[in-house]
Amino acid sequence: MFVCGYHFPASEGNDVSFDKVIEKVKDGVDPKGKVVTLTSETREGAKLEEISVPEGTFAHVAFVDYYENTEVQGDFRMVYYTNKYQISEISKSVDGEATKDLCRKLDDMNLYRVKVS
Amino acid sequence: MAELRQIAFYGKGGIGKSTTSQNTLAAMCHYYGKKILIVGCDPKADSTRLILHEKAQSTIMQLASEAGTVEDLELEDVCKPGAGEFHPDNTDITEGYINCTESGGPEPGVGCAGRGVITAINFLEEEGAYDDDLDFVSYDVLGDVVCGGFAMPIREGKAQEIYIVMSGEMMAMYAANNISKGILKYANTGGVRLAGLICNARMTDKEYDLAKHLAKQIGTQMIHFVPRSNHVQRAELRRMTVVEFAPNSDQAFEYRELARKIINNDLKVIPKPLEMDDLEALLMEFGLEEEVEEEAIGKKAEEA
Repeated sequence: MFVCGYHFPASEGNDVSFDKVIEKVKDGVDPKGKVVTLTSETREGAKLEEISVPEGTFAHVAFVDYYENTEVQGDFRMVYYTNKYQISEISKSVDGEATKDLCRKLDDMNLYRVKVS
Repeated sequence: MAELRQIAFYGKGGIGKSTTSQNTLAAMCHYYGKKILIVGCDPKADSTRLILHEKAQSTIMQLASEAGTVEDLELEDVCKPGAGEFHPDNTDITEGYINCTESGGPEPGVGCAGRGVITAINFLEEEGAYDDDLDFVSYDVLGDVVCGGFAMPIREGKAQEIYIVMSGEMMAMYAANNISKGILKYANTGGVRLAGLICNARMTDKEYDLAKHLAKQIGTQMIHFVPRSNHVQRAELRRMTVVEFAPNSDQAFEYRELARKIINNDLKVIPKPLEMDDLEALLMEFGLEEEVEEEAIGKKAEEA
């Protein structure tokens, strides 16, 4: 199955543990000192807000990993809806209060773009 | 050469099954160079119009009726090359191509809707449509009623991996569960497997959670959440896929990602469909249905 864009072989079933996903996402990514900024927009393309993702959280690592590995190009790179929901789901479980408000936003129906600097 | 994969998109009528399948197959061709044959199995015969840039393709059943019998047809009569970049001779953008055929069905109110599907698949096989050059054959099948005819692609071991297009709406989830029951029935004899749910989002509350939980409970994955986009409608008005109409749009990238996942997918399972009570419990858990006291069932609003 696919979580955060990564393929987990069928032998691991349809319920891959968050630990395995986190391990894969963290592998090869150096998120230290990187600033992750998200923008949200409506389906009609109206910009809503800019959001910072706190360093030291899974969400921060996951967005750095996404930005560096996605085929989507550009300064602010569109985040696949599937990925934003999956990042939110795991972040809620492991980041707790640090990303509570962020995850509430990621769970909505708006489109998010990510920039890492 | 890679082995031919026979996949099918099933889903409730009106869920966006044909739109999703054509856009995804277009992405498999455009970005990954895949060679594909589409076999439309919906009596509406709209499984190929975006690839062909046409209103609707003449179906095998229509053409057989005009010619006398299906034996009077040639493969070239019923199997058309895709338009533009999907044409086998056009290699400007991709080495891949898409060929298209539609089974069609009987006139409304008469006969069995599945008869066209059976006739079409048999004809295509006999005429050598499933040639060695192909990477994928894709069936697009109505899933409201999983009768013997519409189950044909899974019954006879034609389609090996099934993708169910659904949304977070109750009837779409009911249909997805019902299609799983059809797959289960033939899983042991024909080798068909459920390969994933595709959530063609209606953008309703908690839709991702609901689709994901349904997938998990029936033993599969929610392989991709396809957001709603005006690009899809705009492209459809021009009888095009989004991949052709706006290849650098966010929506085209969503289909590209779904295409990548399908190409690399190896999670193919025998589904574990839910009982109706469990399905209703899931809908209640995610707020699609409100729990109702036993004594309120069957009472009018002013009584309850």
